[in-house]
Amino acid sequence: MLRLLVRFSFSLALLLAAALVLRAAPESAAQPTARAQLIAALIAAPVQQVAAIRALVGVEDAAITPALTAWRAGELYLVTLADGKRAPAMLAPDPGVEGQRIALSVDTGAPLLDYATGKPLVFALNQLKPLDTTAPLRRAIRDVLEVAGVSDPNPATRRESIERLGQSRKAEHLPLLKARLVIEKVFAVRSALADAIAFIQLADVDPKIRLAAIGSLAEAHSLAAAARFKEQLAAKPAPPADESAAMVSALKKIEGHWQVVNFFGNLFRGLSAGSVLLLIALGLAITFGLMGVINMAHGELMVVGAYATFVVQKGFVSAFGLGSTGFNFYFIAALPVAFVSAAGVGLLLERSIIQFLYKRPLESLLATWGVSLALQQTFRLVFGPANVQINAPSWLQGSAAISDVLFAYNRLFVFGFAGLVVFGVWLVLNRTPLGLLVRAVMQNRQMASCIGVKTTHVNMLTFGFGSGLAGLAGACLSQLGNVGPSMGQLHIIDAFMVVVSGGVGNILGSVAASLGIGTVDQLLQPVLGAVMGKILVLFAIILFLQWRPGGLFPTRNRSLD
Amino acid sequence: MINKINKTLGAGAIALGLLASTALQAAETVKVGVLHSLSGTMAISETSLRDVLLFTFDEINASGGVLGKKIEPVVVDGASNWPLFAEKAKQLLEQDKTAVTFGCWTSVSRKSVLPVYEKNNGLLFYPVQYEGEELSKNIFYTAEAVGQQATPGVDYLLSELGKKKFYLIGSDYVYPRTTNLVLKEYLASKGIPESAIIEKYTPFGHTDYQQIVAEIKQFGASGDACVVSTLNGDTNVPFFRELANAGIKSEDIPVISFSVSEDEFRGLPTKDLVGHLGAWSYFMSVDSPANTKFKNAFFAWLEKSTVPGIEKKGRVTNSPMVLSYVGVYLWKAAVEKAGTFDVDAVRTALESGVTFDGPGGKATMQKNHHMTKNVYVGETLADGQFKILKSYEGVYGEPFLKGTFGKK
Repeated sequence: MLRLLVRFSFSLALLLAAALVLRAAPESAAQPTARAQLIAALIAAPVQQVAAIRALVGVEDAAITPALTAWRAGELYLVTLADGKRAPAMLAPDPGVEGQRIALSVDTGAPLLDYATGKPLVFALNQLKPLDTTAPLRRAIRDVLEVAGVSDPNPATRRESIERLGQSRKAEHLPLLKARLVIEKVFAVRSALADAIAFIQLADVDPKIRLAAIGSLAEAHSLAAAARFKEQLAAKPAPPADESAAMVSALKKIEGHWQVVNFFGNLFRGLSAGSVLLLIALGLAITFGLMGVINMAHGELMVVGAYATFVVQKGFVSAFGLGSTGFNFYFIAALPVAFVSAAGVGLLLERSIIQFLYKRPLESLLATWGVSLALQQTFRLVFGPANVQINAPSWLQGSAAISDVLFAYNRLFVFGFAGLVVFGVWLVLNRTPLGLLVRAVMQNRQMASCIGVKTTHVNMLTFGFGSGLAGLAGACLSQLGNVGPSMGQLHIIDAFMVVVSGGVGNILGSVAASLGIGTVDQLLQPVLGAVMGKILVLFAIILFLQWRPGGLFPTRNRSLD
Repeated sequence: MINKINKTLGAGAIALGLLASTALQAAETVKVGVLHSLSGTMAISETSLRDVLLFTFDEINASGGVLGKKIEPVVVDGASNWPLFAEKAKQLLEQDKTAVTFGCWTSVSRKSVLPVYEKNNGLLFYPVQYEGEELSKNIFYTAEAVGQQATPGVDYLLSELGKKKFYLIGSDYVYPRTTNLVLKEYLASKGIPESAIIEKYTPFGHTDYQQIVAEIKQFGASGDACVVSTLNGDTNVPFFRELANAGIKSEDIPVISFSVSEDEFRGLPTKDLVGHLGAWSYFMSVDSPANTKFKNAFFAWLEKSTVPGIEKKGRVTNSPMVLSYVGVYLWKAAVEKAGTFDVDAVRTALESGVTFDGPGGKATMQKNHHMTKNVYVGETLADGQFKILKSYEGVYGEPFLKGTFGKK
């Protein structure tokens, strides 16, 4: 009896224990949560990382996209906590005192705390080494992000992800894309979805679906599809006759569309190249065109503007930190600084050298050439012989596409800015008392002087104004190309070319010449290549000047020179 | 009187001793020429080579010199002026009577000094990747030949990344044009049709890459295209900036550059280059004891260096620097093998295949004056270093590649 009781109670105890274990089990042996899986993947050994990341495909969790995006961009770090454990972390975008940034947990987005003090951990940007990525790893990250990106709140991200999924041509993505098409509301994303689905369906088993896919891709002007059609048409065995015919007509349609796109693209690129030329030449159109000073140091005045931008950038980096919101405004602040500093150097040049050479253009050519060499050497001494790095503010990076024609933001900015500057110059020259004096002095220096205009002052201010414009051009160029001691030499020839072919003494001529040269150059480039295109443009200008030595809009006056 | 004689004798003895010691010192050094541009456009790149050469001489001198003689460097400035290179070479050979010269960067400067070295039977070590198609008995090319940089790089794109369309873009001069000529033959032998290759050149100092980038974007729309860039120097800045602005990412259209090394990254926006590729026979990130030792020794030397105007901050090492370093050690090994500084004897010793375990791995001089060495393909990281993706061990250096790839 007793034995029975013992046995009973023993089995009861066992049962109880088992029940307890079972109750505890869902907690300890549960599937690792998406977040734990993510963090495990981040701190895994490099060999296991690819598989661990791939396991995250299709897993929905708010922490995955930011962490992987940061990793791919080289902005994810491993932080060793006080307890010896390693934790992945991102740094806060805005730095605090002395450029120290708070380390944020990948898990919760909250600051990581120092175990000893309980205060948030802070790091300087260069104190930590970003977590490495490799090409296979980035491809895995990309796969995860693409699938996650299909349901991203940002339409642009959605569209990009969908386009890539389409290019992968994997049938496994079809259900996901079709499900998204049902709920997607943004038009551009809907059309991207339709394209991606059609692209995957090109390999469908049903010929009707294939044919429909060809038709819809032709409607969408898909270049990727065009390449695929060409491949299939050349392949053996060739696709069935009706599909071949559909592909041929689709190719025709797609290629026609891209010819139009390229035409408008070339036009925009031409206008953009022209507006760069215009900015470069505008200052010279005043100092050389109006005042008649052959200023070989004009290029170096642009460099002054470019270096001014660099210095302002440096100031903003130390004040706000690279890539912060405040930093993005540095370029706005740099524009007036570039204008003022180049104008200052110009004034100095005018007072010290050029004012004695107004009537001796050849001497001014030699003297300013010497000045340009001296300035170049000064830049080398102050900023070093190597080019300096200028980081574009985020609003000048990237591009917008309108019906497949790409408009880079920095180019759009330069285009708009050139227009503004031309308008400003016109206002100053034609609508201000100073402008009136400038025009009077430039037309006839002696006569103006006789009726009481202080010609020396007007000369000085005009030269300073032209130099300031060169500074603005330099600031803009810093967003497009290199900033270094010899960058001025690259542009000075272009500047003279524009002013001479536009007609010396005529600002409108410079505008027309620069836009014309830019467009012709860009239209020739795809046909002849950059080198031959440039040679041909120069040759055309020489011929043109033989025919019309005065340029596009020659200035006519009654003086007998 | 005797005292006086003693004094004069003593003075004479001291004078004699002094004379002897200077004579001894003169006999204990060997003059070695350094011929690089220290001013002008190429100074940015070539000054680093002068620095590493001076460091190497100091390192060798500290461990006893060559054949018991200390190296005495004669540094001359080619000033990025090609005819001047020939004059300076003549000065080194005829006036200073240097035993060997380490120098030149651009191919034109090498072509300009070549007749001078052949006429005077001098010895030149050339350390920078070049287009091949040249072989002089007086020049040793520690540089990467096309087969040690361009073809392995393209191989990586073909086999590892599965790329099928190639956009070849380069600056308009001899190195890119010759390299692309070889590459096109190589691609044809790998079954890439001519229609899948576009070849474009831009002038030096070109800043407007809108057109080319727009073309690349449409070329790469099918997702299997890549760019092979032999763009030179600072034209890479507007190119990569335009590429980034057009939204072209390295995962979609990778760019492999053959003229961008760690040293060039100092003036480039590395953020725009992340993930794009490079191929060299040395990366600063090579993980080997020899490389760690080399880097530490070089940076320690820089720290203490008293060379006027030397840049001490933010310095890196790159392939041309290491190939200069390796060149000096190969020359030293050959001199010790020959037991003399005589050019003909040293050449025979070099041709017999001397070997040096350098920072980039083992390097062996071949009979054709080129080196067998490792080649690495790497991708750019945000901090301006390369992460090594693939290494090719012991690649044979062959300058004459044109016409050697049979079509499949």
